[in-house]
Amino acid sequence: MEIGSGVRIGPFEVFAPLQPAVSMVRHYGEHHFPGRLIVVEGIDGSGKSTQLSLLHKWLESKGYGVVFSEWNSSPLVKDTTKHGKKKKLLTPATFSLIHSTDFADRTERSILPLLKAGAVVLCDRYIYTAFARDVARGMDRAWVRDLYGFAVKPAIAFYFRVPLETAINRLLDGRDGFKFYEAGMDLNLADDSVESFRLFQGRILSEYEKMIPEFGLTVVDATLPIEIQQMQVRQIVKAHLDKAKELRVQA
Amino acid sequence: MRETYGRLLPEMRLGDLAGKLIVIEGTDGAGRSTQIDLLKPWLEELGHAVVDTGMTRSPLAGEGIRRAKEGNNLGRVTQALFYATDFVDRLENEIVPALRAGFIVLTDRYIYSLMARAIVRGMDPRWIRSIYSVALKPDAVFYLRLGIDQLLPRVIFSRGFDYWESGMDLYPGHDMFDSFCSYQAALLTEFDRLSAEFNFQMVDAAADARTVCAQLQHNILQLLERDSRKNYMSRLYSDSTTAPQPAPHPALQEKVHDRERTAKPLDTALFAVATPVATPSTNGNGHHNHGAHPDH
Repeated sequence: MEIGSGVRIGPFEVFAPLQPAVSMVRHYGEHHFPGRLIVVEGIDGSGKSTQLSLLHKWLESKGYGVVFSEWNSSPLVKDTTKHGKKKKLLTPATFSLIHSTDFADRTERSILPLLKAGAVVLCDRYIYTAFARDVARGMDRAWVRDLYGFAVKPAIAFYFRVPLETAINRLLDGRDGFKFYEAGMDLNLADDSVESFRLFQGRILSEYEKMIPEFGLTVVDATLPIEIQQMQVRQIVKAHLDKAKELRVQA
Repeated sequence: MRETYGRLLPEMRLGDLAGKLIVIEGTDGAGRSTQIDLLKPWLEELGHAVVDTGMTRSPLAGEGIRRAKEGNNLGRVTQALFYATDFVDRLENEIVPALRAGFIVLTDRYIYSLMARAIVRGMDPRWIRSIYSVALKPDAVFYLRLGIDQLLPRVIFSRGFDYWESGMDLYPGHDMFDSFCSYQAALLTEFDRLSAEFNFQMVDAAADARTVCAQLQHNILQLLERDSRKNYMSRLYSDSTTAPQPAPHPALQEKVHDRERTAKPLDTALFAVATPVATPSTNGNGHHNHGAHPDH
């Protein structure tokens, strides 16, 4: 079975053939579509969304066809996730599954067709978010990686690395506390939401660190000034897109 | 002890799941829900507490799946994962607590239907198997098998063709009839394959409902008797070990034997005594809806 080449099994086309966990790292959904997928990762408060939005504006100004897709935003699934969070129905397993359902819908509905069409697709959070959070919640590492076996491999996955305390200070500047699942309150790590957040995000950080070599994440020092980070990001993106001039939208 | 198909969900304890998990599988129109409607009151009459469950009945994802299917724009991977979410929600919050409380869980379809649907839609079988590796192995899987020729009249003259049951998402160029035939035939092939792998007990669903039910009852009784016999023997054994006694008089031994033999028809009642008729605990999430599901 070829990887990511729109293999046909029986009469049905499979867009991203699924691999067992062992071989997943190397083969993960390599695609041959004209578009480019760029994703940002990092804990809450790392500043990744700010960086992605600056990148978005820059790419548009350069004439690229750019589309943005956000974690947890599928029109078919997000109401179910919201319902589950509000009523606190989610266990680590169903938390994982409902987010993978959301991601599947965005992959089938937009990410994949857009890459085929030649767009630059920007994702705020990607499968690495799920790997970090779900494993921090106690899910089996290999099971979660299998679950996302249908995902397309990004051209660049930026990881905005930030110390926990910096992130917490940035987040608490704007608000009083953290949301239930965001702080990992479902895990009963601590009664206080800030303390729970600290413990939970600490686990997530250590998962991210392990994934840097596993998936070849591109690390950005998120303690640097915004402008410096953005300069680095643009340089790396530019190097990738120079090889793909056909992506430009006609002015 | 009860097992899963390979992987364990966080905080899933398997040690004390005393109840019985009985699966009724089969393609659309094979009469699964009719049988469950017959089996449930019958088991309750025998003194067993029963929970019945089925696809899209989870408080978490049931409604979302129904809404998503209305729009006909539900992709294959999304569909497979949405159903997996629904399944695991019911597994953790309904099936496992019920088994822990000693209930018989009758489930209308299980992971096998979900795997068959996904595989027929082109998903990698290894992928879908990995997802469902967290499922509990049931005590019995009854596969109500119906050939496509027998299935067709049931569908045409009762409810008519349904978009998803006809697999129209797979064959957009076909009309409903052609699509239905291709899709159901592919499902049957996949079910037959799964049947061997997962040790289904085949039941000919072409017979009338009463005959099918009698066969299911026969097999379920066997399952329950085998189990209550095991319980009975182990109780005898543990009695003798906790309270060591001099070797029983031969006549007494004879009596034990007799009791065992004559007790046979009552064995299921004995099992029923062992099943508390309490509501299963809620796994800390406060949501379980045994028996209170919206009907299909």
